[in-house]
Amino acid sequence: MTKVIEARDLSKSYGEVQAVNNVTLAVEQGALFGLLGPNGSGKTTMIKMLTGQTRPTSGTASVLGIDVTVDPVGIRERVGIIPEQETPPSFLTSLEYLKFVAAVRKIPDIDKKADWWFDFLDFADKKEVLCKDLSRGTRQKLMFTQAFIHEPTLALIDEPLINFDPIMQDLVKDYLADYAKKGNTIFISTHILEVAEEICSEFAILHKGKLLHTGPVADLKARGGHLPAFFLSLVGKGRHV
Amino acid sequence: MFELFVAMVKEEWRVHSTMFGSLSFALFPILIFGIAFMGSFLIPLVKRTLPLGNLSIIVHAMYLMLGIMVGGFGMLGNEVMNRRFGQASFLAYSARSLPLSERFIFANFVVKDTVYYFFLWVFPFAFGYILASPFLGIPLASTLFLLLTLTLSFLFGLCGLFFLSTVYTWSRPVFGLFLLLLGIGFGGIMAAGMNPAIFFPPLLLHDEFSWTNLLASCIVLAYLFIVSLWLFNPESVGSEKKYRDSFTPWLQRLSFLPNPPLATKDTIDLYRSGSMIGQTIFSFIVPLGVIWFFLSLMSQFFPPHALLFLYAVTTGVIASTMYTWVTMFDNFGPYACLPVAVSTLIESKLTTFTILQIIPAVFIAVVAVLAGEAAYLIPAVVLGLAVSFYAVSIMAWLCGLSPNVLVYDVKVLFEYLLLVGVAITIFSAASFVNPYYALGAVVLAIPSWMFFRQAKIRWDAVDPQGF
Repeated sequence: MTKVIEARDLSKSYGEVQAVNNVTLAVEQGALFGLLGPNGSGKTTMIKMLTGQTRPTSGTASVLGIDVTVDPVGIRERVGIIPEQETPPSFLTSLEYLKFVAAVRKIPDIDKKADWWFDFLDFADKKEVLCKDLSRGTRQKLMFTQAFIHEPTLALIDEPLINFDPIMQDLVKDYLADYAKKGNTIFISTHILEVAEEICSEFAILHKGKLLHTGPVADLKARGGHLPAFFLSLVGKGRHV
Repeated sequence: MFELFVAMVKEEWRVHSTMFGSLSFALFPILIFGIAFMGSFLIPLVKRTLPLGNLSIIVHAMYLMLGIMVGGFGMLGNEVMNRRFGQASFLAYSARSLPLSERFIFANFVVKDTVYYFFLWVFPFAFGYILASPFLGIPLASTLFLLLTLTLSFLFGLCGLFFLSTVYTWSRPVFGLFLLLLGIGFGGIMAAGMNPAIFFPPLLLHDEFSWTNLLASCIVLAYLFIVSLWLFNPESVGSEKKYRDSFTPWLQRLSFLPNPPLATKDTIDLYRSGSMIGQTIFSFIVPLGVIWFFLSLMSQFFPPHALLFLYAVTTGVIASTMYTWVTMFDNFGPYACLPVAVSTLIESKLTTFTILQIIPAVFIAVVAVLAGEAAYLIPAVVLGLAVSFYAVSIMAWLCGLSPNVLVYDVKVLFEYLLLVGVAITIFSAASFVNPYYALGAVVLAIPSWMFFRQAKIRWDAVDPQGF
């Protein structure tokens, strides 16, 4: 299998705070990879480094064969990203934002594609509403759409379900699982362990910037384990070290 | 609820100090103090060429402008709290979970900004002058009196713009009517040969102290502030306005520009936020109107063409701040998930800025004609635009996409003042000697281009900031 993400001894510090500490991991094509960890464990920093939004302090990383420090814009051209905070531009409407994304990414047939997404995520009635007036859930739908509208082979998503209602969560979980089955790769960061256990094929646990574990979910299940219990056994211990 | 006010002041300080470091930010008022202290020793020299009365007009005008810069609360409303440092859980927002009215929170915000910027800008400047005065043989009482009139000038700018921008937001026809009446009143006073300073009580007070003048100033200030707060209408949460697609037609119209999608977004931002008209009025025409008013008070001292070129240079510097209009809506957040580099964004913002330069160009041309100096129209426009592009190139180089915030970094401010100050001094002086020397300002295109280029390289090399 082709490795779509490779990180070696990746570190990031902000002043004296070590956000990510010597992380080495690889994600193969077709995986639905879950990066798990408590708040402040370094998950968002990992995604930011892998998408070229912040530079590593040391170590190397490549995404789709592109070095994150050499061509960060090239990476963002080829992947889909949903950042931690939904930040569509205040004074564009939902439809205009998607047209803006399409113009930047040079996506053809945007009207047709946008209509499909408006129907699929059930927010067609918000097409002409300014992004600043949207609810958080609708903004998340919009950000989800912009990440997938160009059908990237890799999507990196920070907390994919955080603002969705239960119905939308089900819909999105199914979509992500199907998307990965088609040979695409999904990299999510989350602290909702039940979701990760349900949809991820592989996972890694990050705590205080350090990688504590990485491996397939199936292996854990084969040993009769459950992700939440496994996670707490690792991270819980870590808290008292 | 004094606690809310104190917490807001602390919050503002921490936002700034965490960005530049406590020491670097603490140095900002010290720099202002230093400029005033050292500058005071130049007074005996300046006095030989510029009468003290004119110098005091300039200083009062500066403080009025400072107040104007801080006071656009009414138009921006909730947005001003939002935009200053982005969407974050600041007290102005989190206090909404407390049993406090929006108007009360907003009043605290306005008072906090007034007090905060008073101690950041106004007091250090006056204090520098006060400390220098014993060495210059200036009586302490007169320096303290200056502190009073400068404070009133600052508050006049702040409350005046707060009032105008609130009326503008409340009712455009009433705003238009108010401006018309103001214009008629001003015209009438000028025609009657009365002192135009009657429109600016702090200056009257400075020229001749009287308790009546002081009381008049305070009453006018209180009136402007209270009426503004009373008219201020907190944006109702959950209001949902619908707009038809403007992106597609604008994208086609702007397809000749580099990065048409980004230019289209900027255009829609400016239009829908009300900034295109609002900022033009309150950040451009009002300040320049005020400057024209003060220059007209000094018309006996300067030859007419020098006034025009001084005005063109000032317009150029103020026009360069249009860069903040196009950067105020964005942090890098909305672009972080798109294939857009910071340098591309800077290039796009500067493209939009270039289009906006039509406003100062037309403005200078109109002023040249109205001032009866049409013969110098082209040199004045060239000088104004050259200064504007030069100043914005330095701003882009020093601040990237965050000019509104990084201006409070003492190192940034010092470098900006030095680089812009030297250039405008040289070209103002040259145009005073011979009006056509102003055309020489085109050479500023060379350093402007170099600073643009360096800005792109510099800001691509650092992590894009949320602010």
